Amino acid sequence: MIAAAGIVRAEEAPIAQIKKATGQATILRSGEPRPASVGDKLFVKDVIETGPDGAIGLTFVDNTVFSAGPDSQIALAEFQFDSTNFRGAMLADMRRGTLAVVSGDIPRSSPGAMKVKTPTALLGVRGTTFAVQVYPDH
Amino acid sequence: MYRSLTALACLMLLAGCPRQALFVVLPSEEGGVGAVSVDDGKTVTTLDRPYATAESRAGSSEPVEESRGNIDVIFRRAFAAQPILPQHFRLYFVLGSDELTPPSATAYRLAFDDIKRRPVYQVEVVGHTDTLGDLRTNQTLSLARAAAARDRLVRDGIEPAAISIVGRGKLDLIVPTADGVAEPRNRCVVITVR
Repeated sequence: MIAAAGIVRAEEAPIAQIKKATGQATILRSGEPRPASVGDKLFVKDVIETGPDGAIGLTFVDNTVFSAGPDSQIALAEFQFDSTNFRGAMLADMRRGTLAVVSGDIPRSSPGAMKVKTPTALLGVRGTTFAVQVYPDH
Repeated sequence: MYRSLTALACLMLLAGCPRQALFVVLPSEEGGVGAVSVDDGKTVTTLDRPYATAESRAGSSEPVEESRGNIDVIFRRAFAAQPILPQHFRLYFVLGSDELTPPSATAYRLAFDDIKRRPVYQVEVVGHTDTLGDLRTNQTLSLARAAAARDRLVRDGIEPAAISIVGRGKLDLIVPTADGVAEPRNRCVVITVR
């Protein structure tokens, strides 16, 4: 019975897949770091992190594409997507680094529902291709 | 002391403060114009043309000029890590059947080649029908079309676990029509590769 409850949680649907990873690239899941490898599935609340020589590219199930350069940390804070009507919502919380984005179905079907939070500003995404740099703390 | 002087200088002249963040809209591959709004809690800056740029200093965000050369340098490693973008393919079927039309053999090949060029892939196949016949028949037919495309991909060596299929019957038409209309463009599957 206890095992069954665990399985339900483990089966929470993946929201993205890692397509590229170079140098030091890490996934923080429930605070536990693990190396990020090409093919790994990502889940809501995962945090992607790169070191000074690291970079990571991922594609979400709504076809949004993220790529982060070195010294980056981005939390996949919120993500919902309904593949029957393409509606959903997404919030990425970017703490530092560089991030390039090509947005997918969510902002197209749910205007205003895709956001990128940075320490100084909240980005509302209408589409499609943009980039954000967050400088480290001064 | 130094810090408070810097803070004072920041308040007097924003441009004297260190840059905290940079936001850039880029040309999109599809050619459409992208747009983002940058909300710093006090003002909202809209960036809606290629290379429109804003920056944050002392917590405030404003439009700024940044050269394409600098943008390319700042984001070079992030751009280099960009995955192959997702692609969609449409394959058409013979009336009432899960057999591909002859011209769709080419589209099938394009989809297959696109999957094979990716180091890792996920494939979604969504089946559709036109509006001839009842709901249940079309539901079954749309799923059979998706399954036929999946089976062919698997025969050609695509990883079965990476393919998901679904049938939408006549409830989700590619080309909107009235009920009971023969429409070849609705007899299809859409393959999304990412």
